[in-house]
This record gives sequence, C-alpha cells and structure tokens, in this order.
Amino acid sequence: MPTVRLRDGAEYPEPARRAFELSKQWFSYDFPQPAAMSRVMAWDPHFGGPHGRAMKRAMAPGEFSRGEKEMVAAAVSGVNACDY
Amino acid sequence: MTGDALWYEAAMVVGITNALNVVADGLGALMIPVKPGAGPAEVGVVYDDIRAFYGGSGEIPTPFGVAAQDPGYLGDLWAAVKRAFTDNQLSRRLKTSLAFAVSLTTRSAFGTAFHLTEMRRLGVGQGGIMEIVGVTQMFSSYTKIADTLQLEPDMGDIAPVDQTPAPGGSPRA
Repeated sequence: MPTVRLRDGAEYPEPARRAFELSKQWFSYDFPQPAAMSRVMAWDPHFGGPHGRAMKRAMAPGEFSRGEKEMVAAAVSGVNACDY
Repeated sequence: MTGDALWYEAAMVVGITNALNVVADGLGALMIPVKPGAGPAEVGVVYDDIRAFYGGSGEIPTPFGVAAQDPGYLGDLWAAVKRAFTDNQLSRRLKTSLAFAVSLTTRSAFGTAFHLTEMRRLGVGQGGIMEIVGVTQMFSSYTKIADTLQLEPDMGDIAPVDQTPAPGGSPRA
C-alpha cells in the first residue's frame, strides 16, 4: 500500500489536470486515473514541473529512439529493484 | 520495442553485465589476472577472440583475466558474454548502452568506464552518451520516489502480450 493517499485526478487544480492530459498523450494510454507518478509529481509543481521536463528531454528521440530509451529506463528500474 | 525477444536479450545483457562487474569491482584488486601468454593455449585462443570483439589491441578486461585461472570457465563465460552483446534483434550499440546504464546505476567503476569506452568506440557521440546518462539519472530518481511512497504499478498490464512461441515451442492456440 502506498504510504500516502494518492488523490484522484479530479482533486487536483486545473493546471495539474492539464498536465495529466499531456501525460496521457505521452504514454498514449487512457488510464482510469492519471498514473500514480504523475499524481505524485503534481503534488509539488515546483519540483514535478522541472523534473518532468528533464525526463521528457532525456527521453526525447535523439541518437537513441524513445523505444530504446524506454528499454534503458526499464533496465535501470530493474537493477534498482523498483516494482513500480 | 514490442515482442518478448527484445526483452529476453536485454535481460541477458543486464545479467551478464552485472556478473562481469561484481568480479571486476570486487576481485580486481585482490586476484591477479592471467596475463596474455602466461596461461595455457586455450586461454590464448579465447583472449584473441576477446581482443577481436573489443576492437583489436586493448588489454584483456579484468573479469576475463580473473576467470582465466580456470580456462574452461573462461571459455564458457566468454561465450555467454559474446552471445549477449552480439548484434541480434537488439543492436550491439544499444546493448552496450544498456550495460553502461546498468553499470552506472549499480555504481560499478569497472563497468561504467568499460562500457563508456565501448559506446564511444561503437560510434555513440557525446550527445548520445548524455541521453543515456539523462535516462539513467531521471529513472534513478523516479524509482526511489516510487519506492519511498511504495507506489503500486499502474502500467503493468498495458503492454501487448507476445504470443510468439519460445524457441522450440509451439504456437499458442
């Protein structure tokens, strides 16, 4: 169980809900609720905003494709023993 | 990046990378590697293949030098490493980048330096290296945030299922 109560997407202010829409487009998947990490990051937009921009910049296609980078991210998550 | 074969290949790269790193970082300063020309002939044959795979003239990487104290073990270890990193459905360039990311994440001094050198040798530019550093760094943040808050996966079921039979297997009905 999470150590915090994750708020439903509807409980967040309008700017965060707009960010959730962008997140849905990023993942190309219609989650019943915004992804848990999106809702965590929306808790503090002064942290989540730049963190998310850094992530999107890192994940954007460049010398490596988005798919290749997702595989690297999965490997990093795996060796960090992160189930999420 | 769909299809299970890609992920099997990636998992084998991650596993064998960690295997090399634990020996190099843990034993590199404690065990003397077998020097080229010092071991039996079968070690020399494997060493030649290792050199060829890594571009020709460099030193034998530490974990292989340590493994060479048992020539039979070296042969099998090298065969597994070579198979894991050879171009297949994933490119060697991506596999090496995965190995670099894993080594950086696990703080392996050997693996980070070794695979960074390999990435450059295989043509990955400074921009590409920074892309992998960025992904590694950002997901080293996300994973710890997720773990601290004990978040439950919300993406585990969205990937398509690959019904391709395993090697030697039969198609699923």
